Amino acid sequence: MAKIGVILCNCFGEIGNTVNLESIRERLASDPSVDFVILRESLCQPGDASAVHAMIRDRGIGKVLLGACSPYGRMEVVRLGLAKEGVDVRTVRAADLREGCAWIHGKDPGGATRKAANQLDMELALLQNMQDSKDVDIRVRHEALVIGAGPAGLSAACGLARMGIRVHLVDRGTAPGGLLNVVTKVYPTELSGPEKLKPLVEMTGGNPLIRFYGKTKVASVKGYAGDFKIVLAGPEGSANLRVGAVVLATGARLLFPQGLYGYGKTKNVITQMEMERQFATGNVACKTAVFIQCVGARCAERPYCSTICCPLSLKNAMRVLDEVPGSKAVILHRDIMTPGSVLEAYYRKALHRGVQFIRFDADRPPEIRADGQVSGVEVFDVLSGVTRSIETDLLVLSTPLVADPESAALARMLEIPVDKHGFIAEVYPVHPVETRNDGVFICGTARWPVSSDQAIAQGEAAAVKAASFLRKETASALSMSRVPGSKLGHAQANADACTGCGNCVAVCPYRACKLQRVGQRSVSRVIKVRCKACGSCAAVCPNGAMQIPEQNYKVTGAMIRRAFREVR
Amino acid sequence: MTSAAANTNILVFACRWCGLIGADGAGRRRTELPTSLRIIPVECAGYVEPDAVIRAFASGAAGVAVLGCHVGGCRFNDANHPALKRLELLKTLLDATGIGGNRLLLGFGTAHEYHQWADTIRDFHKHVEGLPSMKSWLPATQ
Repeated sequence: MAKIGVILCNCFGEIGNTVNLESIRERLASDPSVDFVILRESLCQPGDASAVHAMIRDRGIGKVLLGACSPYGRMEVVRLGLAKEGVDVRTVRAADLREGCAWIHGKDPGGATRKAANQLDMELALLQNMQDSKDVDIRVRHEALVIGAGPAGLSAACGLARMGIRVHLVDRGTAPGGLLNVVTKVYPTELSGPEKLKPLVEMTGGNPLIRFYGKTKVASVKGYAGDFKIVLAGPEGSANLRVGAVVLATGARLLFPQGLYGYGKTKNVITQMEMERQFATGNVACKTAVFIQCVGARCAERPYCSTICCPLSLKNAMRVLDEVPGSKAVILHRDIMTPGSVLEAYYRKALHRGVQFIRFDADRPPEIRADGQVSGVEVFDVLSGVTRSIETDLLVLSTPLVADPESAALARMLEIPVDKHGFIAEVYPVHPVETRNDGVFICGTARWPVSSDQAIAQGEAAAVKAASFLRKETASALSMSRVPGSKLGHAQANADACTGCGNCVAVCPYRACKLQRVGQRSVSRVIKVRCKACGSCAAVCPNGAMQIPEQNYKVTGAMIRRAFREVR
Repeated sequence: MTSAAANTNILVFACRWCGLIGADGAGRRRTELPTSLRIIPVECAGYVEPDAVIRAFASGAAGVAVLGCHVGGCRFNDANHPALKRLELLKTLLDATGIGGNRLLLGFGTAHEYHQWADTIRDFHKHVEGLPSMKSWLPATQ
């Protein structure tokens, strides 16, 4: 067993004035696994790290136990200093004697000393029993799969290609563009959808690093970050790919308002998408166009705001006024949602252009008058408290973006969760384009309703995140922790003890445990790249077959036994 | 160890992302806490197996606290959610054996603020103090 060196920090009296460090020193020195116990005034001051390193090196010490401050205090400085000196900090443990003992038990020095002795004992037990998770390196394939060629997918593909990464861009349509292909004017610009995406589409066509697969779907996904095995199903049969990362940009679709405001039964009640098509063909004809906002949105079933419908209505209302001489445009809304400087200015522009706004209450939605064809709308104006009657010959329903069922199927394949509305869940709160499965990134409306500008920005973000992983030659499993520093270790399955019950598979929050057929029985296997060492599998394994070597059952058992051991 | 102290031994399994941060915060503000408290830092509350809780009682703990993140706010996606269910189930087992489920404190998301952490520990300490001795449960050698 590697000898353990113990260094106790006095913290210039902060610890030593309460805790009797001398008695603790004598106690620890009597432990056969302890090589030396040293008292120091400090550990975090200049020169301390090199002095500690020299001591460890000279005595040939494998593991170090520190009795110092809390892991969130100066201990970070100490660990960083030791790491810089070349000490393997994975074998350095610290018991919290300052925040955890001296500072909170100042009134009971005897109790504080007993506690300090116990806590040091427990950490000593950990060092004595800990094992090492053998790190594994995976070869990273420098290729990426981008699913969906809308604004988000296109910008992700172009971003990746600019960084020199080969991209396979897959879309179920024949050409890239996504929902923007049917939009003849993208708010708040004067450009059409294809015009807006032109630079990106030209780059995908002209760049030898990007290959576009039209009318193609993803048939199956196997593997993990760095080495996904993908099968594509396209018009020319299936294709096999091996990529290092996957960017999901499958987008969303607009809700079909069947049964709402007479849609489907009444003539001239249309959706925003049908309005876009009318603009594209140039046959918009109306005296008064009425837009109703939040149709099927911000309700019990879909409580979210779909972001794009308010600016979309502003744009189309202004277009009606521009393109149909003598026409009127009225927007019936619950709140106009135009955040940011650009969209707020767009709203002001619509006000000045003569678009009328009437606010209604969710409890009293507008009622339409129709006789096969829409003739008017009755709406209770909550701001003036009167019911207004509007003659209309065109009713446009603003419906929200809803999750695409195909995205949910892909999410299952990629082993990532969706939220209760079916949108792909990000890793909240600081990894907005990452998912639970390392190496799978999300952007655009597959994640949440966003405008095309935001989708393009998210595509760029996903590309950078993917590229920062893909540029590595190899990736170490221990480095893939998502948190600063490396992870504690990774779970290891003992195939001899495993009975294949599948508890670990059910509980693993990262889908890192898989059952594998070995001869006549099933045994669990851990995908080390995915494992984040939370220890859930170890907690539910009935046979102790699942262990995190750094904190295995022997460690925990010994720590528990020593927690209240009598001190002299 | 005095017998009075033996009655209030509390072992805390504190997750590194919530419970341990609460303990650190309480320490920085020098909040006076009972000395019968011992902490085992764990990566996640999901790591705490029911067996470990029972072993803690066998090793002289009069109360065990498992302090993790909010359900829905776990650092490891949703690892603490099954842990919560598992340990709630353990409480019924502790009730059935006579140890008492009220000797197991589950704090999910209430412990990452230092004052909440200190209050949680003080309240639990007071609660455990009022419970009968665990002596009869321990092996004769102890």
